[in-house]
Amino acid sequence: MLPRLRPRVVVRIARWELFRGTGTLDRRTIGVYLVGLVVLAGALPMAAGSGLAIDEGIYRVGAPGDTPYRDVVESDPTFVVRGDGQSAAADGRLTADEGYELVFADGELLLATDGGEPTPKARAALAALRRSVESYNDRRMAEEPNATAAFPVRVTLRYADRRGAGGAGAAVSGGGNGGDGGGGATGSGAGTAGGTGAGSRDGSGGGAGAGSSGGLSPLGVDLFGTGTTDGSPSQIAPPFPFQSLVLAFAFLLPLNFVVQAYSSSVLRERINRRGELLLVAPVSAAEIVAGKTLPYLVAAVGLAGVVTAVVGGGALSVLAVGSLALLYLGTAFLGAMLARSFKELTFVVVTISVGLMTFAFVPAIFADVDPLALISPLTLVVRDLTGTAVTPSGVAFATLPATLAAAVLFGLGLGVYREEDMFTQRPVHLKALDALGGRIRSPRSLVGLTAVLIPFVFVAELLAVAALFALPGGLSIPLVLVVVAVVEEFAKSVPVLAGFVDGRYPRTRRTALLAGAASGLGFFLGEKLTLVVQLVGLPELRVGSAAFQMGGGGPLVAGALLLAPLALHVVTAGISALGAARGTGAWLAGTALAVLVHVAYNLSVVVALV
Amino acid sequence: MSESGARGRLVVGRRELSSLSREKTIVLALVIQLFVAGFSSFLVVGLTSLYSPATVSGGGVEVAVVGDAGGEFVEAAEAAGGLRVDPYADPTAANAAFESGAVDALVEARTREGRIHVTVTAPEEGLRKTLVVVRVRAALETLERVERAERAGSLESGVVPLPPPVDASPYLGFTYTVLVPVLLLLPAFIVGSVAVDGITEEVERGTLELLRVTPLSLAAIVEGKALALAALGPAQALLWVGLLSLNGIPVANIGRVAAFVAALSVAAVSVGVGTTLLVADRQRAQLLYSFGVLGLLTAATALPEGPTSTAALLAIDSPGPLTDAAVAGYALVAVGLALLVRWYVGRVDPETL
Repeated sequence: MLPRLRPRVVVRIARWELFRGTGTLDRRTIGVYLVGLVVLAGALPMAAGSGLAIDEGIYRVGAPGDTPYRDVVESDPTFVVRGDGQSAAADGRLTADEGYELVFADGELLLATDGGEPTPKARAALAALRRSVESYNDRRMAEEPNATAAFPVRVTLRYADRRGAGGAGAAVSGGGNGGDGGGGATGSGAGTAGGTGAGSRDGSGGGAGAGSSGGLSPLGVDLFGTGTTDGSPSQIAPPFPFQSLVLAFAFLLPLNFVVQAYSSSVLRERINRRGELLLVAPVSAAEIVAGKTLPYLVAAVGLAGVVTAVVGGGALSVLAVGSLALLYLGTAFLGAMLARSFKELTFVVVTISVGLMTFAFVPAIFADVDPLALISPLTLVVRDLTGTAVTPSGVAFATLPATLAAAVLFGLGLGVYREEDMFTQRPVHLKALDALGGRIRSPRSLVGLTAVLIPFVFVAELLAVAALFALPGGLSIPLVLVVVAVVEEFAKSVPVLAGFVDGRYPRTRRTALLAGAASGLGFFLGEKLTLVVQLVGLPELRVGSAAFQMGGGGPLVAGALLLAPLALHVVTAGISALGAARGTGAWLAGTALAVLVHVAYNLSVVVALV
Repeated sequence: MSESGARGRLVVGRRELSSLSREKTIVLALVIQLFVAGFSSFLVVGLTSLYSPATVSGGGVEVAVVGDAGGEFVEAAEAAGGLRVDPYADPTAANAAFESGAVDALVEARTREGRIHVTVTAPEEGLRKTLVVVRVRAALETLERVERAERAGSLESGVVPLPPPVDASPYLGFTYTVLVPVLLLLPAFIVGSVAVDGITEEVERGTLELLRVTPLSLAAIVEGKALALAALGPAQALLWVGLLSLNGIPVANIGRVAAFVAALSVAAVSVGVGTTLLVADRQRAQLLYSFGVLGLLTAATALPEGPTSTAALLAIDSPGPLTDAAVAGYALVAVGLALLVRWYVGRVDPETL
């Protein structure tokens, strides 16, 4: 059911969308933009110059001049020295309200206490002091003439791939491997080496067998810490597992601007019936939406390309972020179709952006742990940057759910891109039901509608698995089962409810059962899409198999496994549909009952199989 | 300001807030807030334990040690803790143990030219490598201290003794210097953005015309909206503070924190209103507002105490000598901006909007 899209029309609407502003782009607006740019451009070097010390002076210390620690705390901006603190420490103890976290008195170190116990802040201050003393000693030692005595230990850290047979052959060569031997270097200048791998990046990410391929970006940031490090022990930097957070911010923050502009443009069409002119023109709604979206999609992908170039990724990164951008635009489009005012739109967009950030970065934390992480397209970026090989099915697994979800969102939004919905004011949830209900024309369309919601179910369940993955195994599996049941039951019953609310079919018991069966069947068919999961080998993961019920077993078990879920989905969807026929309250009760049945089924299956 | 003018502003402000609550937008905002607050505890506990992997208690790290200085490393590792060491006599066997995954890392320690040269081989894959490297580094630092002490005679200056280890939460600094400032600055930013929405909405829907046939002046309409929204900023920030306290992150100096957020909200709303009066189109006004506020924020980090520092120092209860001055400064700037925009509103011809 693909809508008609004539490229010429789409491009014309896109051009109109892009240059609509030029008519009103007067001198004043340009001037204001220029001022904004100048402020931003001028501010950046200023901020860079100030060094962004965010933890400046958070711990207050009292230190007399004769303690060696005075120099230490004075050289570390995290601490602020508030005199010698002797009056506060005069009674031999320090309380939290005396204005110090740490006081050095008579060769002793006093921590601020509250009720006899050191405060959490004072303990954190002491831990920070420990780190500070270590780096202070290292700086002092760097000035020593006798470098061998000052830095008696030299460390070379390297990473070896030990997964495949083609891993690094011998990590330790028989004798002492030469390498550095630069005895004259005082350690302080050594820093991180690892620039060797930088130039030879090709983007496709062939295996990183060499062990010393530094993940260096053009900016020289070794984001992934996979390079070889050399120096004194304190110069060994542990790899940074936070890359996905940094990447989520780097990629999604610029996208925010695009999405903000896009969603206001969509909502603008709905104000004062502006969009009516286009609606009555001989173009389809799909062409209008495609045309309006195109410039923003190009801008989003372009921005993603720029960010990718800056962090040193390849085409795979752009592809991954492109699917994320599409999902972002799709959500924003539906949000703008449902929102009643600009204010509401602002909050909707903030919600979307928080939700998508979570989706993008939580699974990617586990980027190199397990295949599960691939549900987030950002994982592809992480792997691209680290040069880890990704299989084609992995790429599909990472980009397809997001792209399909985006397609569904655009489809649902298109459902309300019509005169009777665009220009009316209705609460968001009713409009959302409208968007669903508008798609129901026959039992078969209800089957299709529920099936189409599967990508969201998929994404929601995987996100839940990723979030609960960190819990101990005994706790995470039952929790995952409950979350899965809730998500699936809602996915099945909401389209049925939409049909009732929209008056697509009468509120009788018979239609309720029919609609429930159709929805259950649709869900079952859609769920078979999760066979994709098997391609990636997700069932190897215990939690993953609990979510998708793909036990092994013989053909008999396989047959039962095929039919049992069908029966389950039809029965539970029937239960919630009976509730939906009676109204919203009964719908909630029915869905809750369906969830209970679902959980009971899941538990019995898992107990029987595992 | 006459009696009726004040009441008019009040009515406009109330209308602005009631439209927010009628649309249940506030509910949405609260949901986000609860979600992020719940998420922040995940962030704080889960992510910062990754950030500082030494705190993760999960399982010991096992290391194979070879080389003539292996004994020294083993002793240091035992003193540092958190590491199980297996001395191997045969490098090939150690290699095989590493390749097969029996040990997490390989340490080769050899004495050469009066130094101990250590080569650490860590696995490339897995989140665990961070934990492995952190633990091995702790052992190596202990080894360095021991060796340094033995060579103290050849050193000109002594080292400062290390303070005792302590059981401290490693995420306290992160919470107060990153999380709390972001959560305090965000409401101000959003409130300004909503101010842009509030005015462009009236302009684009043509309802500004309707408001202007009432006895209210344009200035009164704009002021009413701006005041209502500027009050919303600190209210939301205080809600954050409450949620954070429930989450075990107490925020100190609530009065000054509220004043700080109020000043920033007034400033953001003023920038928002000013932008809207310049560009009445929502799309461009929002973009310009975002750039403008981000630019101002970036410029403010060049101050001796930036806004994020002020928020952190107030929240963690270590206000510096500049903190109060900074809060007062923001208040002054906010009032200045508000007056500037107020003056500009008087000069704008409502017909051009």
